[in-house]
Amino acid sequence: MIVCVAVVGHQNNPLYIQSFTEADDALKLHHIVHCSLDVVDERVNNPKKSGPTLNETFLGLLYPTENYKVYGYLTNTKVKFILVTTDLDVRDADVRNFFRRFHTAYVDAVSNPFHVPGKKITSKVFAERVSTIVKSFGLSSGS
Amino acid sequence: MAPVAPKSGDAIFASVDRVNAELFTLTYGAIVRQLLTDLEEVEEVNKQLDQMGYNIGVRLVDEFLAKSNVSRCVDFRETAEVIAKVGFKMFLGVTASVSNWDAEGTTCSIILEDNPLVDFVELPDTCQGLYYCNILSGVIRGALEMVSMKTEVTWLRDMLRGDDVFELQVKLLKQVPEEYPYKDDE
Repeated sequence: MIVCVAVVGHQNNPLYIQSFTEADDALKLHHIVHCSLDVVDERVNNPKKSGPTLNETFLGLLYPTENYKVYGYLTNTKVKFILVTTDLDVRDADVRNFFRRFHTAYVDAVSNPFHVPGKKITSKVFAERVSTIVKSFGLSSGS
Repeated sequence: MAPVAPKSGDAIFASVDRVNAELFTLTYGAIVRQLLTDLEEVEEVNKQLDQMGYNIGVRLVDEFLAKSNVSRCVDFRETAEVIAKVGFKMFLGVTASVSNWDAEGTTCSIILEDNPLVDFVELPDTCQGLYYCNILSGVIRGALEMVSMKTEVTWLRDMLRGDDVFELQVKLLKQVPEEYPYKDDE
């Protein structure tokens, strides 16, 4: 189950952060997202591979904690998407698929002429789309 | 010769030059945003959009008549049909429908289920009074005025305000008789 997704701007400013848990642990999740940004920076500054993966947007598993797994995605405009999940065996393909759809939703949201680039995403439509994507996460694999 | 008005604008739409839909949508979005910044008042923006549409309409009607091969419409009903089926298809790539005629045949609604102008758009709370697509009403008003019909075009329903379709009410105020600058017997 996905517990938190976040969009972080290129100056590490939060653009959108939403948790999907019943419990009151938003702060903890925000903290996890915050920590993961360092890992993103590290990945970006020390690319292990080059060549065909040079333009790879999917950053993979950023770091596992006891209860959570954190995945990252970096768009070409240096906007980061962070995904926090409680599932312990997540298929890479599912995560990639999730980020691809999330990216599409993000692109549509920032195409709104009333959205100011670099400011928080306030769109209700975007929030709804994100929660739909989050709900459908992992369902296609039948797990 | 019997009038051969095209029943739909598909053929014309296929032959005219087009631009990328997203470029178009985003350009229009940028215009509206800039107007909001410049004029500050939502009401003023509505007026300005209408005026811009009017200016477009008075020019666009010539292109429409030149390319669409429609012949003279016998009444306002046919005019509305041609606007919805041919006009919208030709310039916006969508087809509208016409309904809600009143008894005199002077007022109708043009209903747009799909509107390329509003892709991505979501009205913020501060602009709730804005008619985002007000340019369209101006275009229709301007175009009809050039073919000697005074009309009044208002929005009844707007998808950006939570309605399920766009509904434009077109009301024929006056048909200005065409006056030729020469006499019949000359």
